Amino acid sequence: MSARPRVGLFVTCLVDLVRPQIGFAAVKLLEQAGCDVEIPAVQTCCGQPAWNAGADGHAGDIARAVIAAFEGFDHVVAPSGSCAGMIKRHYPEVFANDAAWLARARALAQKTHELMSFLVKVRGVTGVPAQFAQKVCYHDSCSSLREMGVKAEPRALLASVGGLSIVELADPQTCCGFGGLFSVKYPEISERMADDKIADAGATGADTLIGGDLGCLLHLAGRMKRQGKTLAVRHAAEVLADMGGEPALGETGQ
Amino acid sequence: MNGRETILASIRARRLAQTPRPTPYRAPPTTGDLPQIFAKKLSAQYADVRMLDSMADVPAAIADILRGLNMAARIHIPPDSELASLELANVEIRREPPGAFDAAVTTAPFAIAETGTLAYPAGKGAPASWHFRPVLEIAILRASSIVAELEDVLAALPVGLPSTLNLVSGPSRTGDIEQTMELGAHGPKALAVLIVRDS
Amino acid sequence: MNQDPREFPQNARAALNDPLLRPALGRLKTHFGAGRAAAVARYGDFEALREAGRDIRDYAVTHLDELLIAFEASVNARGGTVHWARDAAEARRLILSILQDAGARTVTKGKSMVTEEIALNPFLEANGIVPVETDLGEYIIQLRKEPPSHIIAPAFHLSKEQVADTFREAHTELDPARPLTERNALVQEARAMLRRQFESADAGITGANFLSAAEGAAIIVTNEGNGDLTRLLPKTHIVVTGIEKVVADMDDVAVLLRLLPRSATGQPISTYVSVMAGPRGCGEADGPEDFHVVLVDNGRSKLIGTEAQDVLRCIRCSACINHCPVYGAIGGHAYGATYMGPIGAALNPGMMSVAEAGHHANASTFCGRCAEVCPVLIPLPKIMRHWRAVEYAGGLAPKTIVRGLGIWAFAAKRPALYRFGASLLARILKMIGRGGTVHALPVMHGWFAVRDFPAPQGKTFQAQWRARR
Repeated sequence: MSARPRVGLFVTCLVDLVRPQIGFAAVKLLEQAGCDVEIPAVQTCCGQPAWNAGADGHAGDIARAVIAAFEGFDHVVAPSGSCAGMIKRHYPEVFANDAAWLARARALAQKTHELMSFLVKVRGVTGVPAQFAQKVCYHDSCSSLREMGVKAEPRALLASVGGLSIVELADPQTCCGFGGLFSVKYPEISERMADDKIADAGATGADTLIGGDLGCLLHLAGRMKRQGKTLAVRHAAEVLADMGGEPALGETGQ
Repeated sequence: MNGRETILASIRARRLAQTPRPTPYRAPPTTGDLPQIFAKKLSAQYADVRMLDSMADVPAAIADILRGLNMAARIHIPPDSELASLELANVEIRREPPGAFDAAVTTAPFAIAETGTLAYPAGKGAPASWHFRPVLEIAILRASSIVAELEDVLAALPVGLPSTLNLVSGPSRTGDIEQTMELGAHGPKALAVLIVRDS
Repeated sequence: MNQDPREFPQNARAALNDPLLRPALGRLKTHFGAGRAAAVARYGDFEALREAGRDIRDYAVTHLDELLIAFEASVNARGGTVHWARDAAEARRLILSILQDAGARTVTKGKSMVTEEIALNPFLEANGIVPVETDLGEYIIQLRKEPPSHIIAPAFHLSKEQVADTFREAHTELDPARPLTERNALVQEARAMLRRQFESADAGITGANFLSAAEGAAIIVTNEGNGDLTRLLPKTHIVVTGIEKVVADMDDVAVLLRLLPRSATGQPISTYVSVMAGPRGCGEADGPEDFHVVLVDNGRSKLIGTEAQDVLRCIRCSACINHCPVYGAIGGHAYGATYMGPIGAALNPGMMSVAEAGHHANASTFCGRCAEVCPVLIPLPKIMRHWRAVEYAGGLAPKTIVRGLGIWAFAAKRPALYRFGASLLARILKMIGRGGTVHALPVMHGWFAVRDFPAPQGKTFQAQWRARR
């Protein structure tokens, strides 16, 4: 491995479509951490919506394309515990009965990381030169917590941001109710779970809710917009990359 | 094919692989003063646990427990029990099974320190239902019969498992109403344990 | 409310709108959740205990035929009888025939989810036998003619006021003016009413938390002691149990007894653990003369050798239910089945069918909390996903989802088309959501029913990246 590792950034479909600045934030953080970042143009989706829906054929096709596009890098990094988790934990399951692809999936899984845990644990980053003078609360996505084991790293990085103070949610372990297609298949249950999470966030007195997975954040921000709530929502990468001055989710900055 | 053959055939036809017999699990060891550990655990479960120096202290302890619970000076002891020769001044002894508001005195041949548990193999002189019928059970046990774990009790049973082995770790309780604990659901509302040190 | 898992969406909606349910559901975290967490913290190496539990249960499930045969031989040696029921109907008939041979008119019952599963009580009643539930929670819901809403706390959904109302209506011989505001008064009243039943019952039916093959024993755990009064006083005792409950010997049971109460309520041990091995011994005053065990398959063996096999490890502790955010929002009745929450989602599509219970496997975010707390490490979300795959392959998934995924996947496999489509979509959504959010779209009704959608920034990341480089 060279002194400057070659990192393939897995942008994620939601970041690509809805909030590209998270992608740019990730590039900036990775370059600051001494990595050479490449963005394979062929990437589209990790295949998780298909896999979780039991559409195994589609999931396999998409996964093969991702493996082929990314297996040449030293590391694969995604600003999402959910997409990183799909590649790391579930691609081997997708190919459980295909020895050749299983080996390639396992090899890719070994070097796939969620962004913030990559920065802290692999690149040894202890702080970022960013400013964000706000009280924030942090939302751990279930996949970050349980599939990728990410909990301390976002907090360590955010703690280094100038002016930022973190107040913990009372119940960080409970799902926010996004769950991909669950959010549209069972909207009322999803709504109740969102409201419980939003009440928890509101009770912290924070100005901004920060998280590491755009799916959760779109769901929570969208629900708060519907309710007229003013708690701002941002992805952690943006704040860490000193892009906290941009409009928050659902805001135009006008 | 009958039910038995059908079910067994279904299991055998579908099985793909077998896992091996696992190595025996060792729980975090319970060591030290076992009677103290036992007493602490069982007291924490709302039992009245007392250490006595000898069997001679038992009658006074029984009388004291009954008085403390405002109960009549009357106890039930199973016929053919080890306690058949127990004599109490001013306390009536009955031999028939206790009713729902009576007190019973039993002996526990074993107890488990790990969980604060009395172990009652059923037998002649040790009727199993007596641990559930009365409102107060007073259990007498020797300090030396307190072992560390359930596994030790199982190994110590003289002729293997009896028809009933009851493990009792406190008075009866329920959380079925609003998840809030109340004592005395069907079994005894009060459990007292007299640990007699051996001479 | 209907006991039909197909009606899950409507039942869930009704539950979400039921104000009486919310305080009860709040207790999941404060009581069950906090209890388990404290017990785990106090134990030491709880992970090693979970692994031991998994290994014991895996051994049992993969040697199930051998252990069931050994169990039967041990029970026979003690003078008991084992019966084998392929399905619910056969189990009911076997139990009825045992009771009729014994001339039983009233039967007391310890808590048994399997008897709920096979719908035993209505069948006995239709055949002139009166079953009386003695677990306090089961007794309450029997009076209310409701199914249980939780596998260890059947009346979990009720307030003490609702219980008091039920007792006033049912216990008509008691003074109507008596105070029933205290929980303790309710418990003492139930104790008195049921004591008479225990003493007069002709037979007792219990479940089994475990079966031990080497000794021919059935083991039950209770906090009330009702299971013991059920099986010690009458002449006939029938244990009704799933076939998968067997383990090799009492040392295995001792390990699982460390896992079960901690995972369920946070107790290091249940108040009463009763090891029942056959009819009463010679010279004993208590215990049944006749000891019967009815082994029930009812869809369990067909899970062996499938991707759902691991679900047979289950020791029915309810930890998964207690920690599930979906159960925590809707409670147990919404599932319309004996087993609810994550264990229901993993079991029901297999034991019943994917057509009937598909919603259970689909109504999950795969948050993984259930698998995190399962004492025997069942990969519950993985098994739910397996049922979704079975549903999808069987053409049973909702058409809108299948079509939507088809379109998405078509594009996702064609990068140039995808980039073009995504750019177009980003532009359109930005236009629609001019104020920063999109309030409605002609698609994705489920999203917009309850949420807005933060508008995209307008150009995709890929387009911007290409432009910069």
